[in-house]
Amino acid sequence: MGDFIKHPFVDMPDRNPEQVIPNDQLVFTSEEKKQIQTWVSHYPTADGAVMRALWLAQEKFSFLPPEVIKLVAAEIGIPYANAYGVATFYTQYFKEKKGKHVLDVCTCFSCQLCGGYDMLHYIENKLGVHKGETTKDGLFTIQEAECLGACGSAPMLQITNGPFVHNLNKDKVDALLDALREGKVPAFTSVTLPQDEDEMGGNRRTDVSSVESYIVPPISETVS
Amino acid sequence: MDDKKTKAGDWRSYQRVLLPPVKDLHKLDVYEKHEGYKALREVLTTDKWNPTSVTNEVKKSGLKGRGGAGFPTGLKWSFMPPVDPNIPRFLCCNGDESEPGTFKDRQLMEYNPHLVFEGMLIASYAMSIKTGYLYIRGEFADWITLMEEELEKAYAKGYVGKNIMGSGYSCDIVIHKGAGAYICGEESSLMSSLEGQRAYPRVKPPFPAQKGIWGYPTTINNVETLACAPLIINKGGEWFSKIGAPSHPGPVLYGISGHVNRPGVFEYPTGMLITDLINEVAGGMRGGKKLKALIPGGSSTPILRADMIEGVTMDADSLREAGSMMGTSGMLIMDEDVDIVSWLRRITHFYHHESCGQCTPCREGTGWLENIVTRLDEGQGQLRDLDILLDLCTQMEGRTVCALADAAAWPVRYTIDRFRSEFEAKCSTETVPSGGVLETA
Amino acid sequence: MPNITVDNETLEFDGRPRLLQLCLETGVDLPHFCYHPAMSAPANCRQCLVEVGTPQINRETGKPNLDENGQPIIQFMPKLQTSCSMDASDGMVVRTHKSSELVKRAQKDNLEFLLINHPLDCPICDQAGHCPLQNQTYKHGPEGSRFEFRKVSKPKQIDLGPRVVLDGERCINCTRCIRFTDEISESHQLTIIERGVRNYPMTPPGVEFDEPYSMNVIDICPVGALTSKDSRFRARTWEMSKTASISTVNARGSNCYYWVKDNKIVEITPRTNMDVNEYWLADEDRLDYRIFNDNRPLGPTISGADVNWDAAYKAVADCLKGAKGDRVQFLGSAFATVEDNYLLSKLATAVGASTPMYLTHTEAGRGDTWLRTDDRTPNSQGCERLGFQPANRSALRSLIQSGGLDVLYVLEDDPVASGLCSAEDLAGVKVVLHYYNSTNQTLPAADVAIPAATAVETVGTLVNDQGHAQRLRPAKSIAGVNRTLSMEIGKCRADRHGTPFDKWYDESNLINCQPGWVSIPRIASDLNIEMNYKGPRNIMAELSSANDAFAGATYEAMGEFGVRLSEIGVTA
Ligand SMILES: Cc1cc2nc3c(=O)[nH]c(=O)nc-3n(C[C@H](O)[C@H](O)[C@H](O)COP(=O)(O)O)c2cc1C
Ligand code: SF4
Ligand code: SF4
Ligand code: FES
Ligand code: FES
Repeated sequence: MGDFIKHPFVDMPDRNPEQVIPNDQLVFTSEEKKQIQTWVSHYPTADGAVMRALWLAQEKFSFLPPEVIKLVAAEIGIPYANAYGVATFYTQYFKEKKGKHVLDVCTCFSCQLCGGYDMLHYIENKLGVHKGETTKDGLFTIQEAECLGACGSAPMLQITNGPFVHNLNKDKVDALLDALREGKVPAFTSVTLPQDEDEMGGNRRTDVSSVESYIVPPISETVS
Repeated sequence: MDDKKTKAGDWRSYQRVLLPPVKDLHKLDVYEKHEGYKALREVLTTDKWNPTSVTNEVKKSGLKGRGGAGFPTGLKWSFMPPVDPNIPRFLCCNGDESEPGTFKDRQLMEYNPHLVFEGMLIASYAMSIKTGYLYIRGEFADWITLMEEELEKAYAKGYVGKNIMGSGYSCDIVIHKGAGAYICGEESSLMSSLEGQRAYPRVKPPFPAQKGIWGYPTTINNVETLACAPLIINKGGEWFSKIGAPSHPGPVLYGISGHVNRPGVFEYPTGMLITDLINEVAGGMRGGKKLKALIPGGSSTPILRADMIEGVTMDADSLREAGSMMGTSGMLIMDEDVDIVSWLRRITHFYHHESCGQCTPCREGTGWLENIVTRLDEGQGQLRDLDILLDLCTQMEGRTVCALADAAAWPVRYTIDRFRSEFEAKCSTETVPSGGVLETA
Repeated sequence: MPNITVDNETLEFDGRPRLLQLCLETGVDLPHFCYHPAMSAPANCRQCLVEVGTPQINRETGKPNLDENGQPIIQFMPKLQTSCSMDASDGMVVRTHKSSELVKRAQKDNLEFLLINHPLDCPICDQAGHCPLQNQTYKHGPEGSRFEFRKVSKPKQIDLGPRVVLDGERCINCTRCIRFTDEISESHQLTIIERGVRNYPMTPPGVEFDEPYSMNVIDICPVGALTSKDSRFRARTWEMSKTASISTVNARGSNCYYWVKDNKIVEITPRTNMDVNEYWLADEDRLDYRIFNDNRPLGPTISGADVNWDAAYKAVADCLKGAKGDRVQFLGSAFATVEDNYLLSKLATAVGASTPMYLTHTEAGRGDTWLRTDDRTPNSQGCERLGFQPANRSALRSLIQSGGLDVLYVLEDDPVASGLCSAEDLAGVKVVLHYYNSTNQTLPAADVAIPAATAVETVGTLVNDQGHAQRLRPAKSIAGVNRTLSMEIGKCRADRHGTPFDKWYDESNLINCQPGWVSIPRIASDLNIEMNYKGPRNIMAELSSANDAFAGATYEAMGEFGVRLSEIGVTA
């Protein structure tokens, strides 16, 4: 937090960047095209499908360099500038290359008061990089996230726009980083409703392997 | 206090209806066994119901929106213009859930997705809508996957899509995945985002019912709001209206976070005593600490000091009297150790980060607020800063395209108002004349 | 007629105008930045806030409730409303900054916000002097600043494209430029990028903002964030005078202002004419002004030798005197005014020659469906309406090459450069040439060369490709002429603020040339041909009554915005 406030510099995107994805790879498969067209059919005009198509592209190419945004725009038939404006508006679209695992650590107020910054700083120290940066080995990018909608299980983080990891503590972070280094991304975790615990003796879902409870949140050491 | 006397009645024996205790209720076959899609069937296939009577039943229930503004839902539905077969109409179910402190819709979607779909379909029928979009924030990727799987099953069973249950009524549901922007929860921003534009909110009037997505009549409701619709149909508006606070009735999902022993999402009637929620439902304060303050419904609802909550219940009237709002019923509980200035600093950062930047007072004001609160937090603030902050709030409130600027200003206004001495205590002891640029370290 | 009350004054209106538009049209000066009448109204700058009230309507009667004085009870909306996004409705009551402290405060507050991250570099900004932000800050803004933090720094001096430069810090995010490319030109080359206080307009990577109408965003940008690469830093706005006239780069005759400093054209900007170019001007119409300033002749010449005007006119008369009418060819000009071509045709008739022809100048592909045309001349319709035929180039060339001509009389054109014939071909022909620039390639073959006044130095009429007859007004003065040029301009011209201050008194850069309506009658008089006109105004008066193709095209009727002539061959 506070970085931009103290050093309010807005950089210019490279206006003529070198293409990163070679032309022969810069294509959608016919299956992907079909999927995109299905999304297009869900909206009165094709524009509606741009967010889904950008998601698909990001999953395919791991990030969204300009040529990919252009490809998406062409695929659904909207102006490139519009697609670019949309891609830069949303924080989950990666406009530049990130680490293999992006750790979005929530520090928004519930997490802040329950150790969100402790976790952020712990991970920063452990990986030797600051938020917004990627480790040299290209494995991890740390980001500070705004409220991710899991405040009851604070502090928490999200891994590469995917699974949430709840009720963080240092041990849990250690284990998580080790697992990720081995390429093991944690499974979806269902957080049991306290009332379910009382009335049903545990999580109501029988189809999830990973289950956690809401617990007493830790005491935060730092709040910024 | 005698529980029976609170608006929430005998809440300890409350039977959950949004999230009833049923194993695997999220699965279609289980849901079907527990009155699943019964309300929809009744609405579509019996003479008892037509669009107007559904809307009237919802009006009768007294249901108020759970997305933050607490607008009467039946009334909102009745704002849709008369049907013109040449003009499409849309429903948007708002699952953006990004207001800090709010995490209830995610759990509702995980544990009872079909209730959300069924609610969307009933609402669509009531407004003669043929397409409903379910907008879910992109961070909820795993829940989107779950919802999509279940939606597919509902389609396969003929609950969604063409000629639902042979009634002749058709309605599609499309799940739209967001990509990280709080502002998309604001209804007109959500519309821009759905249309594939930069998610800039739009000036009102025209209201969505007149000119919504792609310029067509549109109604936007929160996930939890729509999930109430099947219950109202099944058990009647009157039944619903008798749950909880009479002026703001119904079941509600309280998301409690912060310094309590047992945080989480709880379903109880509206009108619960805040003290009951903290001390009993959420297991009391962590480590036996004293309560310092709380926000009752998400980051933008005015903060309440511990001494302001005696007898206050979670419903619009009581909270208004106490000087706050119901918001999203996402409650953040803070103990005596919280540095309120640091906490406010994080909120101002949030709104600064999330302002869409479209309109002047919000784009510029949110940053200025963060600037000043940061300097106060770092002990370099000047007493005049507090007055400037309050002035800036006045300059932002009610003058922007959407209510984000208000939402950003309120925490500042009310936190200073209610904790002024803590701000003053943090000010610098040295007076720096105004005019220059004060560098914060 | 429906009406609204603004600060206790009643304004009548038709249809459903925007409140802001109605106010502006009726002289109520409401500050605003993002609103533009041609585009959607996002109401994002928040500067045009006003208090709005509407009559309280009785549910039963449907009529307004009245107070004890019999006046309708007005209910004011709880929040201030943006007048740009509000439709005016009958009975509406509006309070602006003139009668509402609330509105006054809101305008001031909003300006304070706009300025906290603004660089305030007015002393070096091209927009200074005609900047809405600057003007409104003077009028309504706060006196000082309470902002004690670092301003956000954003990219500056960015070439968005070949003609438009961006200063991101000056941008107030009104999105007018974006809406122009999305809704008007539909080039979709610009977007706002990023979010919140970080956002600013930009092209997506790899894209140049090079559409043929790109420079319009400079005019509509309410601050100095977008400037012209060509004219930036060249002149302060108060050092220039402006003249309302029309562009002559193509056949559309888009309405424009010529900006003059030291008797040179320095910039061309659009002038609104809803019948021709609306608010817009193509880039090509703005950039061709150097032909008015550079390579201009020094005076009349005979076979390349400098002479005085009397000698030159006499020499032209001498060329025509001896010649047989059927061995003289007059070439009218689609660059010249209707008046000059008309006089030329009179001269031709008087010496027994056939009706003048004219050379067409078209470039296939230059035109579009908007303001640019393949025709690179401003007045071919005027020539057609005078009965001039486009020259059959090969036939005319053969005639020249075979010695069939004694005299070729060229009005304001360049037959050699346009490929009609070579200079050598003209060796045996006496050539009279009225010309604009010393780069004219027919000049070496000319026996008598008469420097002609260009479109910015003359008075006259041009007919655009849609049959719209419009007036040219002199924007700069020429040597040897009473500078009021036939009373068509005042002693001095106003600058952007209406101040009678211009560089007109500067005697430098006065070109020694003459308009056709001066030179042709002089030649006629040397030939004892009667051609008495007080000036172009009278010529048009005569022509509009004598020739149906120009019916109605008097100077009075054409005024500032021109008149649409009936189609050729169709009488009104
Ligand atoms: C800045 C802002 C953010 C909002 N975020 C959300 C949100 O995340 N989820 C939501 O349901 N409503 C949100 N709202 C409220 C919506 O605009 C809208 O009122 C609501 O979805 C209507 O549903 P309801 O009537 O069922 O409450 C937000 C409003 C504002 C001004
Ligand atoms: S108030 Fe803020 S978020 Fe809302 S439209 Fe204006 S700038 Fe955007
Ligand atoms: S560059 Fe100018 S026109 Fe474009 S958004 Fe900024 S201020 Fe508006
Ligand atoms: S504050 Fe971290 S998830 Fe809500
Ligand atoms: S002109 Fe009305 S908000 Fe900008």
